[in-house]
Amino acid sequence: MKRLLYAAIAVLIVAGLLALGANHFEKEQSAATGKAGSSTKVLNIYNWGAYIDPNLIAKFEKQTGYKVNYDTFDSNEAMLTKIQQGGTSYDITVPSEYTVQKMKQLGLLHKLDLNKIPTLKYYDKNFLNLAFDPHNQYSVPYFWGTLGITYNDKYVKPEQIQTWNDLWKPEFRDSIMLTDDARDVFGFALISLNKSVNTTNNGDLMAAKGKLDALAPNIKAIAADEIKMYMAQDQAPLAVGYSGDASEMIAENSHLHYVIPKDGTNLWFDNLVIPKNAKHLKAAYAFINFINEPKNAAQNAEYIGYSTPNAAAKKLLPKAITAQTNFYPTDEMMKKFQVYTNLSQAKTEEYNDLYLEFKMVHR
Amino acid sequence: MVEKQSRWANLYLIIIFIVLYLPIFYLIFYSFNAGEYMQNFSGFSLKHYGELFADNRMLQIVLNTFVVALLSSLLATIIGTFGALGIYGVKNPLMKNVLLSLNNILLVSPDVIIGASFLIFFTLLGLGLGFGSVLMSHIAFSIPIVVLMVLPKLNEMSTTLVDAAQDLGANSWQVLTRVILPYLAPGIYAGFFMAFTYSLDDFAVTFFVTGNGFSTLAVEIYSRARQGVSLEINALSALMFIISLLLVTGYFFINQYNLKRKKQYKKGRNG
Repeated sequence: MKRLLYAAIAVLIVAGLLALGANHFEKEQSAATGKAGSSTKVLNIYNWGAYIDPNLIAKFEKQTGYKVNYDTFDSNEAMLTKIQQGGTSYDITVPSEYTVQKMKQLGLLHKLDLNKIPTLKYYDKNFLNLAFDPHNQYSVPYFWGTLGITYNDKYVKPEQIQTWNDLWKPEFRDSIMLTDDARDVFGFALISLNKSVNTTNNGDLMAAKGKLDALAPNIKAIAADEIKMYMAQDQAPLAVGYSGDASEMIAENSHLHYVIPKDGTNLWFDNLVIPKNAKHLKAAYAFINFINEPKNAAQNAEYIGYSTPNAAAKKLLPKAITAQTNFYPTDEMMKKFQVYTNLSQAKTEEYNDLYLEFKMVHR
Repeated sequence: MVEKQSRWANLYLIIIFIVLYLPIFYLIFYSFNAGEYMQNFSGFSLKHYGELFADNRMLQIVLNTFVVALLSSLLATIIGTFGALGIYGVKNPLMKNVLLSLNNILLVSPDVIIGASFLIFFTLLGLGLGFGSVLMSHIAFSIPIVVLMVLPKLNEMSTTLVDAAQDLGANSWQVLTRVILPYLAPGIYAGFFMAFTYSLDDFAVTFFVTGNGFSTLAVEIYSRARQGVSLEINALSALMFIISLLLVTGYFFINQYNLKRKKQYKKGRNG
């Protein structure tokens, strides 16, 4: 009995020491801001893992005196569930465009007072007032990018791959890696057929499915994050994926290049929103304005490697980055781009079922 | 013949250990990579360890994870031990079976369902998510494990021990603290360590109930996966592996020391 008691006390002491340690590191995080954690001004951010330059958070805390609580999620769906349940109150979160639409429909978003976001003037007009959120009533873009093709110049010449239809060329047998996502895979098949990526027309979808089945011999694998690794190691000549992932791959392997097919592509956006149950509206607006200050936005874009919708920040970025039309496309190219809108539950299931069928044919 | 057989047995054992440990060593090996990926070892470097120790957020989360694991397994061990005593004491066999089955159902039901139900429960009660909610849910899913580890020890205990103690005039408190609990000690320790490891690496339940700035290691690593898990995580895993290795060795030597002392004590009495 005595021994059990001693063991229990030992556990308590160790736990207490560790808690002190944790407290110390928490203080250290806010010590970087020069303020003690005692301040009652708080901002709760819910963001994708590693999706902001941590120095910017420290700078924000120092500049405004707010203490930032930073939580992370790994998918739109997980974030949505948490916000929907309540229990936590976040002041800022970062959904992708189709999730903005869904959250709007569910009444989870605070209507933005655009007068409180003077930094909106720095935005490129192309990225405001988009179909998923007309007049930016609920969201402002954080980062954006495109879906495109990454190729390895050891195996593929640039002129060989100019449009989506080039993927179907017989010489690319067993050489394409696809990102495992129903909307993306159907998206490029629909574009290659000159249809909308948001089509709800059954005929269009069946045509896209037929076309995808014909692509099967050229497909090497359908995968997720591991594509980055394979491409960086020269394991496959071609990959279909997001511009953000492409820029990471290119940093690892200089033989890789990213192209946006000439026939257009899908444009994705991650957006800053304020959930309805946010408790610190003033802090949230302060943060949105802070992160859109051209200097900060540029620093963040350089750290993350995604494209910024902030025109003033783009000017501050090194020419070597912004001159790349595959990451910062010209207005001419942008005309052909499309943005996903949220589909009805039934249509989403139809996309998913057809996609599953396509994957089974491929196996 | 016998020797040949044991040689095959050894070979089998070695292969199994290789299968179990190789991935861990692979991971540790790449924590020293100067490059950024688990590929193409481009030179020895400690830079990922440097990154880890500069990452205050990560260190805070690691310590928080351990605090939750220690406290939740301690409380679950106390509650679970008394739970086992309770189930043991039930005389009606049907009732006893029902109680045991209810305990086992919690053990085998999927974490996702337990996590989701906790989330709904806590929000219904109006409790904010954070340290408290994580601690409570970890205690809850650890209790059945402790019960399961302690109960066999109880069943194995001869009832004559209790009878003898009572005969010699022990009251029920003395019977509990001087006879039953010391006898159960190995089961209680085992339950504690099982609960500890469960709590340490739980993702599914924890994911639902974290919030308001509180997070644990499993949740944090998973959310970082969108950008690709950096080798900082490898460095952290290597350190945790070494710590557990030290703990196990320490435990081994303490055990060894105790055994020796016991033997000497016996010898002294016999001699």
